[in-house]
Amino acid sequence: MNLKMWIPTLLLIVSAAATAAKTDLDYARLRASLNDLAADPALGKLAPAERALAEQAVQAVAEKGGNGKEHAHLVYLAERRVNIAYATAQAIDQERRLDKLDREHDQILLAASRHDAEQARLEAEKQRIQSLAQAEETERLRAEADAARAQGEVSAQDAVLARKQAEQTKRLADAQAKEAALSRKEAQLLADAAAADARSRPAAAAAAPAATPAGASRQMVLNDTAFAPGAATLRPEARSNVSSIVAFVNRDRSKQIRIEGHTDNTGNANADLVLSQRRAEAVRDALVGAGVDARRITTFGMGQAQPVASNSSEDGRAKNRRVDVILEDR
Amino acid sequence: MTLLPAKIHRPVAVFFCLLLAACGPTKPPPMGIEDATRQLQAAREAGGSTYAPLEVRSAEERLSMARAAAGKKDYEDALQFAQESQVNSELALAKSRLGKTREKVEARTRENAQLRQDLSTNPDSAGANSQ
Repeated sequence: MNLKMWIPTLLLIVSAAATAAKTDLDYARLRASLNDLAADPALGKLAPAERALAEQAVQAVAEKGGNGKEHAHLVYLAERRVNIAYATAQAIDQERRLDKLDREHDQILLAASRHDAEQARLEAEKQRIQSLAQAEETERLRAEADAARAQGEVSAQDAVLARKQAEQTKRLADAQAKEAALSRKEAQLLADAAAADARSRPAAAAAAPAATPAGASRQMVLNDTAFAPGAATLRPEARSNVSSIVAFVNRDRSKQIRIEGHTDNTGNANADLVLSQRRAEAVRDALVGAGVDARRITTFGMGQAQPVASNSSEDGRAKNRRVDVILEDR
Repeated sequence: MTLLPAKIHRPVAVFFCLLLAACGPTKPPPMGIEDATRQLQAAREAGGSTYAPLEVRSAEERLSMARAAAGKKDYEDALQFAQESQVNSELALAKSRLGKTREKVEARTRENAQLRQDLSTNPDSAGANSQ
């Protein structure tokens, strides 16, 4: 009798343990993968927002691992969130490598151009010295010719002399022109390199990203002076504005945050779509960095699709290049 | 030929009942289908079909499953499929970004190596070649 009662109980315990073990298996696998990413020396510090989202998705698997269907759904989401965190961190890592390679490329060109200019300077100097020697020689020959003419002999020496002199003058002029052209090129490359540097470190740019005063509204706008042209990283001076956005979104923590990037209608539409998405993500990363819950935030790149002003004037285009931060009901 | 009041009133009453029903709250709960659609569009435009074809296909499948579920008023399933579609699109976006950047890194590495080689073998013309 006792035994008959125990068998079903034992079976129940075993099956429950098996389900729990499977849940733990999925969770353990995702958790380990995420820990590996965090511990990775190259990737660990990159893509914090994507990592936070993956973290929450994995946590949801552990917490709500209940029935089969919902559990499978949560594992599905968590698995992809972890992959997104990996792919994004790797992409950022590659983007940094690309930046470095671009700088190297500029350096090589600059070195080549300096080398060319140096060669040209040496060549010009050589020509100048030759020209001096030639002038001396000419002078000597002329003196001889004069002496000869004085003796009544009109020699062919004069003609030869004049030709030699003309040739030498032309060579000198050529060398000097080449040197001048190369110097100009070098100056241009230096200017380009300086401009590239300025683009990557726009610290001194006087950008005043105007976030519209929030008041009771549900939306804030970060205008495009917060970003360098064509770039998707927030300028250091725009980071102070992030704190006002943080204050704005934290007034009501029950609201979802929708971040939309927008561009004007200049440039390639697809590229603008990607740029606007990146800018929205940059704002999201800044918010997450300031402690805003990543689960509340969704980002969208709208590209050129939703202008707020006419694209026919520079003013209008500047208004259209923006990032909207919108509070939404859940 | 006059109609009895009941005969007139019945269609009128039915009409008003229908009108009331039509004006009632018919909006289904949010299922994220719009967001998932937009995200899939973004993934395609970022080159997802080239760099993450598997993810784009999964996103498409889940999105049509979400729409089918919504059509059957199975809102819970619709929400789950839409979420699964969206996460696939986001993964496709991230993979496209990675794939494109990798290609650029490879191209730039080759270019720099070539430039260096030109410089060392033919120092006088390297600068001109690179322009």
